[in-house]
Amino acid sequence: MRELLPEEQERYARQIGPGVLSSEGQVRLKRAAALVARTGGMGGPAAMVLVMAGVGRVIIAHGGRLISPDLNRQTLGSEEGVGLPRADAFAQRLRSLNRFVTVETIDHEPDDAEAEALARRVDVILSCAPSFAERLRLNRAALAAGVPLIDAAQWGMCGSLVVVRPRQTACLRCLYPQQPEFEELFPVVGGISSAVGSLAGLEAIKILSRTGQPMYGQLWSIDGYHGRTSIVNLRRDPRCPCCGDASPAGDAPS
Amino acid sequence: MNVRVIITGRGYLPAEGLPASLSLADGATLDDALRTLAQHLPAGEAPGGTCLVAVSGTHLGTVGDHPPHVLREGDELLLVAPMAGG
Repeated sequence: MRELLPEEQERYARQIGPGVLSSEGQVRLKRAAALVARTGGMGGPAAMVLVMAGVGRVIIAHGGRLISPDLNRQTLGSEEGVGLPRADAFAQRLRSLNRFVTVETIDHEPDDAEAEALARRVDVILSCAPSFAERLRLNRAALAAGVPLIDAAQWGMCGSLVVVRPRQTACLRCLYPQQPEFEELFPVVGGISSAVGSLAGLEAIKILSRTGQPMYGQLWSIDGYHGRTSIVNLRRDPRCPCCGDASPAGDAPS
Repeated sequence: MNVRVIITGRGYLPAEGLPASLSLADGATLDDALRTLAQHLPAGEAPGGTCLVAVSGTHLGTVGDHPPHVLREGDELLLVAPMAGG
């Protein structure tokens, strides 16, 4: 097991100790890899949390170029970055946060084959994607590779987290047997994006470092508009075409 | 009996005028509650079929696909309309 450098021990001093990570947990983070699919309003803060915490390799996937309307929520963006490819600009910002971490970029939305190949290179997937098609693709990839999936979603001032332990707890397809119709552009305030993204990052840190109690099999609904939260124990669907008892190969792409 | 209702996700705004709880007959089912709820919402704003349904913290399925379920006094009905990332 790779040990922490003295500079790393100094960097992470505030998160190693009782109630946070053990020294072994911090080393596990260093050895771990995470995929953050879309690093916008939610995925950006999630990736920042992972990088700052010392996850050894963080792969970010985000296509396109930064535009002005992104800046109400995309914390990795900047005025200077408008017009630049998001993946490169965001990776530069992430690298500036922690020299002990490797940040890799994917400058497009991975297709099914690439998503599954990426899933096999990481220890956890954070899905912060804006479409159900992409979220369900990441769900399939996580199940195929057997790695945990953390799905973060938002609308307006509300958000939700779902944490999936492959084939042990409900997957995203168990929740959505029919793919919901969803608008491409929807209202959202950056405060909820950052909150949900940061919590997604925290779940990943818990899983990777084996600290605390990951919210496997639960949905955490955070209603910022009304100031209330709810936790739901999710039901795994034995008929699920993706993780059900009769679907060893997973479901077909949507 | 009374059942507390929370609608969150994409549908929270049309639900602004909802009463905090629904008054239902004893022995009412989840489907009874969903029908009553629809009557309280603006036309065309009833929760869609893919909206997640949970009762008192337990996930039952979606509005369009869930098993029969008898409600109890004090239950909390949570509807989570679809959300996405970005």
